[in-house]
Amino acid sequence: MKRILALLLVLAMLAAACGGSDDSADNATDAGDDTTDTTASTDDTAADSGDESDGDSEAAGDAATIEMWIAFSDDARLGFTRDRAADFNELHPEYNVVVTEFDSYNTVFEQAQLAIEDGNPPEIIHFFEAATQEALDAVDGDGNPIFKSVTEAIGDRTEILGEPVVLGDVVSAATKYYTIDGQLYSMPWNTSSTTMFSNMDILNEAGITEPPATWAEVEAACEAIMALPDAPSEGCITWPNHGWFYEQSLGQMGVDLVNNDNGRSGRATEIFLDSPEAIDYIQWWSDLENSGNYVYTGVQRDWDGTSAAFQAQNVAMLIYSSSDTTALTQAGVDNGFEVKSSFMPYNQDIAYEGNLIGGATLWLANGLSETEEDGALAFLNFFSNPENAAAWHQLTGYIPITNSAVALLEEEGWYNESPNSAVASDQLDAAADTPAATGALVGNFVAIRDVVTAAIEDVLVNDVDVAERMASAQAEAQQQLDDYNELFGE
Amino acid sequence: MSGSLQLVLSLIVGAAIGVLSYGYRTPRQAALGGALGVLGTGAISAALGFCMYAADAESTEGVLGIALGAAFAWMFGAGTRAVLNRPGEGSGVGGGGFGESQIRTGAYRLGWWWPWLLLSPTLIILVFFLYWPAFQTFRLSTKLTRLGAPRVGERCLANFSELLIPQPVLVATLPLVAVGLIWGIGLWQRRSNPDSVGYSVARILRPLGPLVLLLALYFIFEDVNGGYRRIYLNTVIISVGTVALSMAFGLGLAYLTFRRIRGVTVYRTLLIWPYAVSPPIAGILFFMIFNATGGVVAALSSRWGIDFPDYTQNASLARMTIVLASVWKLLGYNLLFFLAGLQTVPRDQIEAAALDGANAWQRFRTVVLPALGPISFFLLITNLTYSFFDVYGTIDFLTKGAPAGATSVAIYEIIRVGVDNGDLGRGAAQSVVLFLAVIALTAWQFNQSEGRINYGGA
Repeated sequence: MKRILALLLVLAMLAAACGGSDDSADNATDAGDDTTDTTASTDDTAADSGDESDGDSEAAGDAATIEMWIAFSDDARLGFTRDRAADFNELHPEYNVVVTEFDSYNTVFEQAQLAIEDGNPPEIIHFFEAATQEALDAVDGDGNPIFKSVTEAIGDRTEILGEPVVLGDVVSAATKYYTIDGQLYSMPWNTSSTTMFSNMDILNEAGITEPPATWAEVEAACEAIMALPDAPSEGCITWPNHGWFYEQSLGQMGVDLVNNDNGRSGRATEIFLDSPEAIDYIQWWSDLENSGNYVYTGVQRDWDGTSAAFQAQNVAMLIYSSSDTTALTQAGVDNGFEVKSSFMPYNQDIAYEGNLIGGATLWLANGLSETEEDGALAFLNFFSNPENAAAWHQLTGYIPITNSAVALLEEEGWYNESPNSAVASDQLDAAADTPAATGALVGNFVAIRDVVTAAIEDVLVNDVDVAERMASAQAEAQQQLDDYNELFGE
Repeated sequence: MSGSLQLVLSLIVGAAIGVLSYGYRTPRQAALGGALGVLGTGAISAALGFCMYAADAESTEGVLGIALGAAFAWMFGAGTRAVLNRPGEGSGVGGGGFGESQIRTGAYRLGWWWPWLLLSPTLIILVFFLYWPAFQTFRLSTKLTRLGAPRVGERCLANFSELLIPQPVLVATLPLVAVGLIWGIGLWQRRSNPDSVGYSVARILRPLGPLVLLLALYFIFEDVNGGYRRIYLNTVIISVGTVALSMAFGLGLAYLTFRRIRGVTVYRTLLIWPYAVSPPIAGILFFMIFNATGGVVAALSSRWGIDFPDYTQNASLARMTIVLASVWKLLGYNLLFFLAGLQTVPRDQIEAAALDGANAWQRFRTVVLPALGPISFFLLITNLTYSFFDVYGTIDFLTKGAPAGATSVAIYEIIRVGVDNGDLGRGAAQSVVLFLAVIALTAWQFNQSEGRINYGGA
């Protein structure tokens, strides 16, 4: 008996050890929820990341290492980045760009700040749009900013180590969002917008030839679709309950989220979560849910669940990030239905002002040596050169980030071949140049988004009164902003 | 009430608590206890820069300040008493300890520093990895701070008072009433004749005491949207459900597999397997089973024409799913320890009971169960720890706190606030609340089981 017990104990210990390692492997797959973009579907068999980063080890003998920390850990996007780094290392043997992946923007940011405290920061850090204010405000232990403006670092150079500077060529939507005090502090990279994806097979069956463009048209289309004998099993339409969609709607209706021109003419100190327009939007959303047309997956920021419902044809329409345009279009081909991308539906009763971007930029660490800084800048410009920016767009659906990349894609006839890919860029180009349609610059944005999505979830699940719930969310968010400004404000 | 008046009140409360905790058999002892209480209250007030007296005394923060002072007074009083009393006299479970004569002889004659030297590797690790981080957590909990911020905001006890309702009178009285009730029932039971009706009534009422305390805590947590009451309720429901079910099923299964049947070792090994799965994987597994879109159960039930409910849309179902996944996960672990425990039950006692005419249930209840006391106590603590902390991974994969926060337990909220939102101060404050809950529960457990758990041996 004792022997059996001992055996059991050994088994249990082994099991515990396995349990532990499972845990860590598992966390790595948990892509950050705070990202406004989502992992391209996992079965994307894109170029394998492979071993490029160590392939240059012999060349990297005395090469300066440029560390790049990014928040993408999926094969497609991480692999793309690793491949570009390998290309760059081949062109510039005096440098060795090393890409390290993290599971979310927050992790990258935290780890980078800790590394800065340690005096050994990565040169290039990937960080998302909602935390732009926080990245600008962040300081190290001595009170120095932790990031350096790339505009300032480039100066009036037109090429660095032979790589042409593309910063000035960045498309207007991204420039508009990320320009603060007249300069781009970081190099825009993955940039997307919210677009709608429609299952045209279902829409056509219901006698609808074009995807609905307004809220009223969505309602009408859903009536027709849900009346079909073989109506989609879950409902008509879905999208993730993420703060980004709420902000997009405010942009469409021309309403600022915060004061001081959406935080762009001065630090935002007041937030307006419960504007009448915002309440209209959430009321419309809630009504759509109550009529059985909108499908709530029950989880906030559920990129995977909503996308899966659309791909399984359990819903007819999906409002999503354009970052997955390529994958969703392909999913339609694979599952035998036509996917059409269109602008995010807007409120027909209010003049349309514009949709905003989402995504992330690459920040340059402060306090680098000249060699390191030049290497990092050369890589940033190489990374978004027309060929690379175009390839990135084709792989994912993020917009081509420079005008020359757009020109290159047009020349190649890419947009004729895949019209869905043009939608996000077109939608962003159609936006007015106003603070509302540019998007808010505000501190503690992640927490504020949490307040918004929690309130919306309460409305959707518990059917509480929209105006009352948003009023209490407003108080909560204002507290978050006040706290932030107490720490970071002038 | 002005700040200085409040300080005086706080010191008086501290002195009273000091006397109560240190002892009041002689006037000298009472005086010393009072002094210790004042010292404790004064020490924590000074450590915090007397900030709690700057707040309005009629605020929840003021009440918390007095409570904190009282807690330190008690620690000083009871701590001094414990240090002055030699070990062996009043020690808790396990008893034992060396007599003084043994300490003064043999290897221990090398000097007072010798044991410290031998202990130092452990102590260094404890200090750097346990005490220092714990201290930092307490410190952070009084601040408003974020990574990368150029300055730090002082919050005193506001991070805590935010979690409570803004009615200081209720915050002060409800827990006191509950504690008074528990104490009163205990006193009634002790004072009454074991044969009287009063004794029986007190005995029946006794378990109600902790329930009243749980209820009192429920009512003092803030209820407005995003308030802590919801988190508290979720934590209580999910952890009580998990612990009760996993222990009951664990014992039941262990009892069944303890019998000699062919291939029992294989069964046992298989039963322990869920323990090998990490909490997030358990989350994924149950997600695959119960997901309303692509889950196994949903697919099967739709085949039979049953509309399987979506657990993410219903608070009770969501909580049940979390409990189920946690119970499944813990079952193997509990089974393992109960099996080990069952092997220590003296056979002769069971046989003796059988000879005395006890049936299977009576043997189980009167012989086996008491012998399993130490194991059960150990499992209770580890299971409680699991349901307080490790359940995070399961929740993150199954519900992410949905629907509308119905499965957001304390640990989930701590990570959401402190890590995801980067609000280190509030995150630390909630960690302290959870820490206090664990301490209180463990202390209560020790108290309840003292004298009743028999570890065997001399």
